[in-house]
Order: sequence, then structure tokens, then C-alpha cells
Amino acid sequence: MRPQSSIIFFTTLAGMAQGLLFFLALFNIKSPTFSAPFLSMLALPVSFMLLTLGLVASFFHLGHPERAWRAAMMWRTSWLSREVIALPAVILLTAMTFLFIISGLVPAWLWAALLISILALWICTAKIYQCIRFIQEWSHPSTLSNFILLGLTSGGLLLEFLLMLWNEPGAPLGMSMISGANFILLFLALNLKLWIWRRNQKLKPKSNLASATGIKGNNIRQTSMGFMGGSFNTREFFHHQTDRVISNIRKIILLMTYIGPMILLAFSMNSPSIIQIAIALVMHYIGLLAERWMFFAEANHPQNLYYQRVS
Amino acid sequence: MSSNKQLALVIDLNVCVGCHACVTSCKEWNTSGSAGPLTDLNAYGASPSGTFFNRVQTYEAGSFPNTQTVHFPKSCLHCEEPPCVPVCPTGASYKRQEDGIVLVDYDKCIGCSYCSWACPYGARELDEERQVMTKCTLCVDRVYSETLPESERKPACVLACPTSARIFGDVHDPESEASKAIAERGGYALMPEWETQPANHYLPRSIIETIDAARNDK
Repeated sequence: MRPQSSIIFFTTLAGMAQGLLFFLALFNIKSPTFSAPFLSMLALPVSFMLLTLGLVASFFHLGHPERAWRAAMMWRTSWLSREVIALPAVILLTAMTFLFIISGLVPAWLWAALLISILALWICTAKIYQCIRFIQEWSHPSTLSNFILLGLTSGGLLLEFLLMLWNEPGAPLGMSMISGANFILLFLALNLKLWIWRRNQKLKPKSNLASATGIKGNNIRQTSMGFMGGSFNTREFFHHQTDRVISNIRKIILLMTYIGPMILLAFSMNSPSIIQIAIALVMHYIGLLAERWMFFAEANHPQNLYYQRVS
Repeated sequence: MSSNKQLALVIDLNVCVGCHACVTSCKEWNTSGSAGPLTDLNAYGASPSGTFFNRVQTYEAGSFPNTQTVHFPKSCLHCEEPPCVPVCPTGASYKRQEDGIVLVDYDKCIGCSYCSWACPYGARELDEERQVMTKCTLCVDRVYSETLPESERKPACVLACPTSARIFGDVHDPESEASKAIAERGGYALMPEWETQPANHYLPRSIIETIDAARNDK
């Protein structure tokens, strides 16, 4: 598939905000862990800003953004429609949490609602891809696990950075503990990614030219796709990069998303430093952009069987 | 299977000569009809690009010198279980109850392209200029026209085909010409592995003539 920059920015920005909010809600639901000023003046506004940026980015995906409101109509059948409902719900609940914080205490039900809406948004986003059964790279539960895990890693790194920026002790966790937890999350995410790449490599396409055309005989090949100029079909479903570029981007993903931040986190487990965490966060986000780019690039659409030769 | 009508095309690969008359007649009718315009970008430039509902492709099978060339028209198959319809977030993509034609409501389409991802056949094309998803309408505006003479109330591609390789009819009616052709001549659907149950069918080559056979045929 052609990587879509609007979706790359939307899923990474919203994912990071979801991860951050997930931890905020998780550690505050029973008793307040983070101080009210930290939440109201830094963590929640940052989450709100990231979610809004993600929402804005998603509009660039549409040919007719002025009709976007219609996209909430088919929630009974369409995961995209459900996502269109879940995203504003998360934004609304974040805003409500903010209002409750500045006027006193956030009730447990609101933190719980926020947690549930965050999980729901992750599920909707991942299911948009996972439910397309003939894109075999996407049609697997690992799509959802990967979205959630990378949301947690980016959100966790952002939380650690914000805590250090605010000079918030992060009690009762402690900064070394948070570095350790982020390290473990990144390690899990790395292993999942490697597993997904191995799975993709071993996938056997269910469709081939014989099933796509039904032509009898061996050695079926296309001699003409029927036109010489481009079309939507030749643009939308392929990344148009060489194998060399793809393999280089894979290396960038491994280094920037996972290994680099893990090394920096390992150092900051002993002596936490805001510079290290800031670099880890920026590296991780750039890596995430590449990871999401590759998520599209490595998805093979069976329609490409019909568009192979120009003559 | 439901008893509702399911209009469809049955394409005879025995007689398609790959002339592209169905492609041009489709474009001509639909660009000026209710489905249009099907815009062309850079039409006279180095890399032209445009929206088409129908394409004729060419395939080759076998090994030299015993090869066969098959011309293969391809358009929306109007699946009985269309995967493109439930994914549409706005309801712009729909399958008509009364005749099974899969259509797009251009006034509701937000141009997100998600339905095209959900079609394994590549039957949908986003119109670059109008930024809405477009696809074969089975010439719904011809089929039910009250102004066209009755003999012309068929898809433009069917009327244009010089070899009558395209049969149009109700594939749920066992007595229709289309159903009979499917039943008697081994009509098959594309990519059955995804269980989309395409309504359009293809009739396989019944005689595969090879060079060796032709040489021996004195």
C-alpha cells in the first residue's frame, strides 16, 4: 500500500497521547499519584494538543473534509466510522478530566471512562486495517498489539519526559523505575515487531494470477494492464520504492524506534537525565513515523496482481 | 441465495478480441451521464491518467511456442457479499436491494478511499478531480432509462462489444441468458478464496488451440 502521511501522523500522534493518558488514568484511578498542577498545567494539555493535532492530520486524508461529519453514520458496520466516534470521545473525556482537576478531584469513574475510551480508540484504529481479510500482513491480531504497544512506549517516554520537566518526583514510582518500565515496554515492542516481520516474510499469498483471472494453463503472466498512463490503481496500492530503500528504512526503524531509546533508557536507569530522555523521545517518535510508513509499505494488496505490465 | 434480482455481466473469454471498445464506450457514456464526469488528468501530457470503470487486460499462459493469449475485461464484479460496502463510514457505498448493483452516492462520499482498500479486485478508482470514489454502475442510468429504446437498455459496454463477448442479465433468474451461459459453459468467479461471491462471471476458453495442435491439423 502507499504510505499515507496523514494517517502516519494521526496514528502516531494520537497513539502517543493515548499512551500518556493511559498511564495517567491507570495510576490515578485508585488514588492520586500525580499532582494536580502537573496534570492540569502540563500532562493533560499536552495530551489534548497531541489528540487535536492527530485529528487535524486525519482530515488531510479526506477528499471532502467538509463532509467528515457523515463518517459517524455507519458505526454499526464500519471500524472507520467507530474510530470517528471514539476519537472525539477521548478528546471530550480528556477535556472533562481537565475541568474536574481544576475544580477539585477527578472521580474514579471518569478515569475509568477515559481508560475505556482509550482502549476503544486503539481497537477501532487497529481494526480498520485488521478487518481487511485479503491484506494478509494486516489481517492478524498482531496489528492491534503493535498499535497498543507502540502507543504505550511513546506515551511512557513522553510521561517520563514531562515528569522530569516538571520536576515531579513521580512518587511512588521513581524515575529509575519509570526508565526501567519504558525499557521493558520497548523490549516487548521490539520483539513483537521482529515477530511481525518474520511472519510477513513467511506469508504465502492466497491469491495468484490463476485465481485472479481463472485462466487455465501454467505459467500465467500479464502482458498488458490495459493502459500506459498511471491510474488510481497503480498509485494507491504500492509504495513505489526500491528494495534497497525498504531495507534501509527497516534499519532506521530498528535503530530509532527501539534500540537507540533502549540504550538511552538503560543509562538513565542509574542516573536519570532529562537530556537523555528528550533525545530518546525524539528518536522514538521519528522511528515511529518510519514504522508506520513501513506498516503501509509492507502490506501487499491482491489488486496489484492485475497491474503488473505496461505495454 | 436470495430470490432478489442480481444484475451482472458474464464475459466470454472465448471471443473477446481485446479491442477496448467496451472501455471507450463505458468512458463515453459514463463521463457524460449521471456517474460522470470521469476526469482525465494531463490527458495530452507525458503521463496521462484518468478515471475508468472498465479495463481490458491481456494475459498469456503456457510456454513458447504453445502459448495462448487471453484478453480479459475487468470491471466491478457487483459482489453478492461486497467487502467494500460495510467498511464505508458514511454509507455512500451501498448495494441495491432491488437489483444487486453496487453504487456510490457521490454526494455522501468523503473520499477516504477506504472502500478501495477493501476491494481485492481493484475495481474502484478515486476520481482525482472530484475527490470521490467512482466505479462501474452497470449503466444503471441506461438499464432503467425510459427515453432510450428498449433494445438499448443495456450497459454501454455490452452494446459496444463487436463479438458479443459480454452478456448482461439477472444471474438469480435461472432462465436468463446470463444464468444459462454460466450453467452450461462453466462460468466462474474471480478470487473465490475471499468469499465475496462476485455476481459477474467469466466463461473459460473452451478450446485451447496450441501451435503443435494447429500444425498437426492438416
